[in-house]
This record gives sequence, structure tokens and C-alpha cells, in this order.
Amino acid sequence: MRTNYRINSGVRFEMLSQDQLQELFDGVLHVLENIGLEVHHDEGRDILKNAGAWVDGKRVRIPQYLVKRSLEMAPRSFTIYARDGNPKHDIHIGPGRAHFGPGPTPPNFIDVETQERRPYVKDDARIVATVVDALPNIDFCESLGTISDVHPDLAASYEFAEMFPNTSKPIVAWSYGWDDSEDIHKIAVAEAGGQDAFERRPNYVHYCEPLSPLVSTFEAVDKLIFAARHRVPLIFTPCPLAGGTAPVTAAGIIIQAAAESWMGLVLAQAIQPGVPFFMGGVLSVMDMNAMILSYGAPELALMMAGATELAHFAGLPLWQTGGCTDSKVLDEQASLEGSISCFFSALTGGDLCHDVGYTESGITGSILQTVMMDEAIGYSRRITRGIEVNEDTLATDTIHNVGPNGHYLYEEHTHRYFKTEFWYPNLCDRHNFEEWEAAGKTKMRDRVIERTRDILSSHKPSAIKPATKKAIKEILEAAEARVKDKQ
Amino acid sequence: MSEIYEQIATGILEGNVPKIPELVQKALDEGLNANDILNDGLVVGMNEVGNRFKSGAMFIPEVLKSAKAMHAGQELLRSLLAASGAAQTGKIVLGTVQGDLHDIGKNLVGMMCEGAGFEVIDLGFNIEPEKFTEAIKKHQPNIVGMSALLTTTMRAMGYTIKAIEEAGLRDKVKVMVGGAPVDAEFAERIGADGYGHNAVSGAELAKKLVGAA
Repeated sequence: MRTNYRINSGVRFEMLSQDQLQELFDGVLHVLENIGLEVHHDEGRDILKNAGAWVDGKRVRIPQYLVKRSLEMAPRSFTIYARDGNPKHDIHIGPGRAHFGPGPTPPNFIDVETQERRPYVKDDARIVATVVDALPNIDFCESLGTISDVHPDLAASYEFAEMFPNTSKPIVAWSYGWDDSEDIHKIAVAEAGGQDAFERRPNYVHYCEPLSPLVSTFEAVDKLIFAARHRVPLIFTPCPLAGGTAPVTAAGIIIQAAAESWMGLVLAQAIQPGVPFFMGGVLSVMDMNAMILSYGAPELALMMAGATELAHFAGLPLWQTGGCTDSKVLDEQASLEGSISCFFSALTGGDLCHDVGYTESGITGSILQTVMMDEAIGYSRRITRGIEVNEDTLATDTIHNVGPNGHYLYEEHTHRYFKTEFWYPNLCDRHNFEEWEAAGKTKMRDRVIERTRDILSSHKPSAIKPATKKAIKEILEAAEARVKDKQ
Repeated sequence: MSEIYEQIATGILEGNVPKIPELVQKALDEGLNANDILNDGLVVGMNEVGNRFKSGAMFIPEVLKSAKAMHAGQELLRSLLAASGAAQTGKIVLGTVQGDLHDIGKNLVGMMCEGAGFEVIDLGFNIEPEKFTEAIKKHQPNIVGMSALLTTTMRAMGYTIKAIEEAGLRDKVKVMVGGAPVDAEFAERIGADGYGHNAVSGAELAKKLVGAA
């Protein structure tokens, strides 16, 4: 036993000081109390007013005490459960735990067979879910696209219905509004075994997106109300562009995004005290030349790190962003931008890091990018796991055994640790030139494509219950009937 | 096919160093032929080790443990195999060349070659050309293996081959070379008979050079 001995488990990363975080925190409170946001939802405004917010037309201002009380009510640690009870697929949200997954809604997808960019179709949701289910470093699922080959109002319903049977990793569900949110929830509840069972073991997270600057849209609020009423863990995540729809400075965009997100926090906690809530915000720059929201900019990683520290300071988990790129193809740029944001995200411990697999600045989803980033995340996680220091890892006895001019390959110590101390790549090639040559001189992209195809031809996700299969069919039939007369 | 062969092969695969001599002895006690124990048990296991290593399912510390177990089994069979007139795999003289003190790679090759059934005479490191020629005269190996890690010392491999030629011993031995900076082209240029890019391929090359693979 030692006294006064401190252990750093993993790599420590800290950007902002407590003083700076307090200043950001006070900035958010100031925006919410003095500037306020527009809330385009009558019932939402009523709920906020009853909770203590000041409502003036559409403008809603929230006093500091109410924000602080809402922060108190939201949990910092909780679990999102695998639908099949596989504990390896559960996600434990809490300090120091970073999780990764794809993102929602790009219109296009990179075809796995042809590598061509084309509209996202229904079967792509199955492909994404199956690959996500198999990848060791991807923890949750999103679709990487908006289904184009079904009735437009049902894109989200079909998306969830395709993904749910093909992965038991928790899904972050996106939807347009109340009706498709309900379709999604019914599927999840059917598998969980009823609403009560779902509340005890929630198996998906709901995603709502308000508008920057400072607008809670009707759809975002409607979806939030649905999720909160049904006790679905939820994300309220704006997508501000620094210099466009948010201040150009990192500190400025962080407080605006937090204010936009915490409007959702206050509303959700007013409806359902204690409902798990992720602070959101995809924070990046509007490129002043290309006029895009950059998903590969260093400022994205930086601003997201600041937002993560603020969320954790306030006691909330964060919806992180990483593994994404502005590149149009699976190339060196995609690898560079994606890997660095993954590593940075892993360092921050941002709780759910999404958009792993976004390319072309979020316009095209690519499961190939996700597969490549799975490697970058594994790599990052080995580093963030850090160095374990104890009597056994110091290995003085083993050093003594081997002595000068010996070797460690026969040592029990080596055998005990070589698989856990070292990270082994799935995609990075470490063979010597001759072996690499003999294996076909493959490039990273070749191996990414091959691995993706291997997974798709061999991976079998665990099955959903037969009753859920039946429920999905009925839910989709009812949904079709609902929209059959709509254009 | 006796069940014991399968146990021996599994023991090799697991790298079970204490268990293998026990199993080999048991097989001998059952009256099984030494040559069959080698080929249907030990070699079957070691071949599978090679396959698994190449596919990435086994790692070098595990392979070496298997090689050690293999060696322990073969030691027990050696005199019997010699008496029965069965061909031995061969004898190898190994050394890191003059000026170079790096020997983990060479040691690995030695361990793998022992696992492949060779008798290995390890000269150590920083071995002058004359020491190699003396060792050839003394031990009469089938193969001489040389290793170097440094680009500055790899040239000593060429000098050593020249010394072997000048001593009139070149046609008596095969020469194999290895080490991080060495490649097939270099091996050919200095007149070696082969090059292995790692310990496993080194042992395979050795078997090939003596016609055992």
C-alpha cells in the first residue's frame, strides 16, 4: 500500500481552466436569461412558462436558477442498452468514456460496390447497421443518409426499421416530427417488451436539431416533447457555423450553441424530470472561400473539445463530432481529417462522438470512411488508455531474468502482456516490402473496401424477436396508410 | 491415426513445453514409430502454427513457444531417428556479422530453425569472417546463416562469403542472410543462396535449402 499516491488512468487532456469554463458557463446563462431564444411551438412555450421561463411572444428567456435546476435534474451517468441484452453493446455514459458512431441524414451515399456517389437508398441503412454492428470501435448506430426511395415522410421510419434488426448496438434515431418519432418508438418498445421495460432499459436515443442562431423550431421542439414524454434519452443539437450563423470566435460559438441546446434541456426536464439529455452542437467554421460548413477543419475538433469541457463542467454528457471530412473520396485528406478529429474526440472523452463516416462536408455518407475510422479510433483508444504503472508492469524481475544480451520473447511476462499492451491493426499494413508486394501491393483504401465487403458477406447481427418483426411490418403498413394521400 | 498424434499436434499448437516430451514418451511407450511421431504429430502441429502465424491468428511469442515445444519433442526422438537412418533436417551455423552487436533477429531464426528440426550452432554476435570459416570446418553444417541490422555492417556479410570462398568451403555450405536492411536483391548481389525477411521465413528458407520442404 502507498499513501498519497496518485494514479492517472489514461492520458489527461485539459484545454480550458476552471476560470475559463466558469466564464463560458456564465456566458450561456447570460444568453439564456437576457437575450433568450425564439421557440416556434405553442405548447413548448407554455411548458417553459409554467416552469418559470419568461415568455414574450415567441421569445423565451430563462432565468439562471431554472437553467441550474435543470442541469441538476439531468443525469451525468446512465446506460443505453443493447436491444438483445448483449452487455458488450451497452453504452455506459459517464466521465472519461468516449463512444463513437456515424451521423444522420446526408442525401448521398458512397456505393460500397462501385465507390460511386449516388442517392441514399433504403438498403443502405441495412448496410450501415450491419457494418456498425461488426466494427469493434463503433459503439452506436446512425444511418449516414436520408432514404430517397420511399415516401419522403417515411424516410426516418424506414431507416429505423432497416437498422434496428441489423445491429444490436444502440441507435441514435433521427426523425422529421411526431408521427415518425412514434413509429420509431413503437419498434423499440416492441423489442424492449413494453413502455415500462423500455424506460428501465432504453435501447435508443432520440436526436433533435434546433436552428442557429437562437431558434427552437417547431419540429425540433415537437420531437423533444415526444422523446421526453416517453422518457427516451435525447440529444438537442444545433449546427451553428462560426462566422455565419454564430460568432466567428470559438468561445462565442460555444456559448451560443450551449444556449441553443440548453433551451431543450430546460424543456425536457420540465416535461420529464431526470430524462437523460445530451448537450449538442456541431461546431465548426463556415469556410469563407468554399462557403461550406467544414467537417474537416481543425477548429471543429477544437471547438468540440471546448464544448465538451463546458458540458462536463455543467454536468452533462456531450454529443461529440469526429471522424468526418470535407474530402469527396476515401483518400489521404479523409484519413488525415477524420483521424485527427477522432483522436481529439477520444482525448476529450466526449460522450457520443457522431458523424464518423461523413464525407463531402456532410453531404455524402460513406460507410467506407466509418470502417477506416474504426482503425483510427482503435489507435486513439490505445493511446488514451495510457500507461499502467505497478510492480508487475515495471518488470524489474523480468529485466533481471533476461539480463544483458538476452531477449524477452520466451518470458512469461511477455506472454502475459503482449496482446493487451500492444494494439494490433486491422487495416494498417506493417508487413515488409516483399510480403506487402506478394499480397497484392494493397493501399489503405483497398483494404478498407475489402474489409467492408468481408463484413457484409459474413457478419450476422443477432436477430430481433419474431414479435418485433411482426410489429415492424404493421407499423410500416400503418405509416404507409397515413401518408398515402399526401404528395 | 492414433489419438496421441492429435494430442501432440495440439500440444505444439498450444506451445506446451512441459507436456510435449511427456506425450512423445507416451507415444514411444505405446510402441509407435519415432518417424511417425515426428511427421504425424510434431510436424502437423508446427505446420498449423506456421499457417496461423501467416494468417495473423498467432503471434511470434506464441510461435516461439511452439518451436520450443517442438524442439523438446525432437530432442527425445533424435537418437532414435538417427538409429533408424531417417534423414535429419540438418545443421546450421548462425552468427551476427563483424561489427554488429544486434542479435535478437538471429536468435529468433535460431529458435525457429530448432523448431524446424535443425541442429543450431549459434556463434553469437560480432563474428569475424574467419570465425565463420573455422566453424564451418569444425561443425560441417549444411547452412551458414548471417545477420546484420545496420546498413554499415551488412557489407560484412559479403566479406564473410568471400572468406568462405577463399577458404574453399563455399560449395560445402548454403548461405542464408537476413536482418532489417537486407533484401533479396542484396542477398543475390553478395552471392548468398537465400534471404529470409523474418524468423519464420528464415526457418522455411533453411528447410528449402536442405531440400526438406
